[in-house]
Amino acid sequence: MSYNIEIWQSLLIAIWVGLVMTRSLGTMTLNLRSSPLVTSLVVGIILGEVGQAVMIGAAIQLVYMGVVGPGGVNASEPAVAAAVAIPTAIYGGISAEAALAIAVPVGLAGTYLYQARFFVNTILMNRVDTAAEKMNDRMMTRYTILFPFLGGMLLFVPTVFIAIQYGAPFIADLLQSATSKTLLHVLEVVGGGLAAVGIAAAVYIIAKPKYMPFFVIAYFLAVMLQELQVNMTIYALLGALVAVVYVTIRKEAADMAGS
Amino acid sequence: MSDMVETNSVATTGSEPEKVTMKDINKAWLRFHYSVEIPHSFDRYIAASFLWALRPILQKIYKDEEQLRQAYERHLVFYNTQVVWGGGTILGIVASMEEERAREEHETGESVITDESINNLKAGLMGALAGIGDSIDEGVVQYIFIAIGLPWAQRGSAFGAFFPFLCFALYQFGFGWYLTRLGYKLGRQAAASLVGSSKTQQILDGLAILGLFMMGILAGSYVKISSSLKINLGNKNFFVLQDALDQLLPGILPIAAVFLLYFYFKKKEFNITRAIVYMTIALGLLAFIGIL
Repeated sequence: MSYNIEIWQSLLIAIWVGLVMTRSLGTMTLNLRSSPLVTSLVVGIILGEVGQAVMIGAAIQLVYMGVVGPGGVNASEPAVAAAVAIPTAIYGGISAEAALAIAVPVGLAGTYLYQARFFVNTILMNRVDTAAEKMNDRMMTRYTILFPFLGGMLLFVPTVFIAIQYGAPFIADLLQSATSKTLLHVLEVVGGGLAAVGIAAAVYIIAKPKYMPFFVIAYFLAVMLQELQVNMTIYALLGALVAVVYVTIRKEAADMAGS
Repeated sequence: MSDMVETNSVATTGSEPEKVTMKDINKAWLRFHYSVEIPHSFDRYIAASFLWALRPILQKIYKDEEQLRQAYERHLVFYNTQVVWGGGTILGIVASMEEERAREEHETGESVITDESINNLKAGLMGALAGIGDSIDEGVVQYIFIAIGLPWAQRGSAFGAFFPFLCFALYQFGFGWYLTRLGYKLGRQAAASLVGSSKTQQILDGLAILGLFMMGILAGSYVKISSSLKINLGNKNFFVLQDALDQLLPGILPIAAVFLLYFYFKKKEFNITRAIVYMTIALGLLAFIGIL
């Protein structure tokens, strides 16, 4: 299968990534940036392959739970990862697990771009100071909103565009020509197991060791009921009820002990 | 002109401060919600957006140019917090403090609310609220929504990919809106009642339990680690490792992997990239030699 992504497609995807990474769509970019899901949807719409794109997005999401770091610097940029890995997978005709192999290093590269953005903004802050001193509202707004936005776009859009349009086919060809059964098996195993990293990270962040039994209960519950394909919302409801029961019991015990 | 060195106020030449309305407060939140991480920089973090959000209110209450300039510069100092819990609450509280200060300065020429007291409040709250906010919003709430939408996304549903984002965006916007107004109404007392109350602690604990529960469900449903090891014992007898493991405890491998990684994060360092690399190598090797 030849890699025939159109230039306008790569460009649109790159612009989307730029909008998300410069945070210019507001606070909602928080989820857009730290979760690959919506990016996978957008990429899917642009490429006309929503179903496949979203499925790969879900696979990437599992690896990247708990990716948000303090101070706004993440361990990886899932949106960038998805934006590059999904077109590669779809046009390169490789599996979702192999797409993960691309997503991980790209996500890492994305963090360096994001740090570069901070650097640019730091320089622009000087002008914000000057604007405040001069009480120049227009200038302040320009250096608070417009120029950081432009700077960030310049950082992200060209790089992502080049990665998708020219870098990806190279990698896709590489992975396609690898028909060794062992390699495919290795990729499949790695893809299936990497989700453990994301979940362990999320558990670590939620970080209340005395509540670990709830994690284990839920785990074996899911294992046992796997055949039934239970709706996630039911699980969420169960989890909420369990939490309520626990907190209630604890409160009553405290009240009784108090009196 | 008298100078009040102790309270760093400036005798005003301007007209009376306008009253700050709830509409102004809402607008401040809207501005903050939009701009928050756009000018994000190393030296000042999100100070610029905080000022940008507060600016219309400052212009309403400080009619003297020098006062206004000082207010601008006051809020360009280092500021970093979580957008909803810290950003919303502190925005409201600071708005109420600044309003009080402007009124006092206009009436008596000085105010007990000094630069120091405002900065202390911001500095004191921003860390604590960021800790709470990061762990609740980005740590738990976001992933509960993602966990619900994920199975749909896995089957290729566009709605599944969009649902978590929609819920989380609405939640953050709405809750921040509420907190900004709450912060403004309660003023400096807001911090104490929000952070210290036992009701808050119960909610935090409940959310932690729900979060962990959902992570367990996700682990059980989506982490796929199983052994393909099959040893030929001769005479058409095979030893299948996975069968043996399943007899012992079904699902033992994935949860073992999660715990292994969890203790790595706890004892060694919380470095996701390293964990991914190690895990890839380990899984790759084991898959290569046929154990997995």
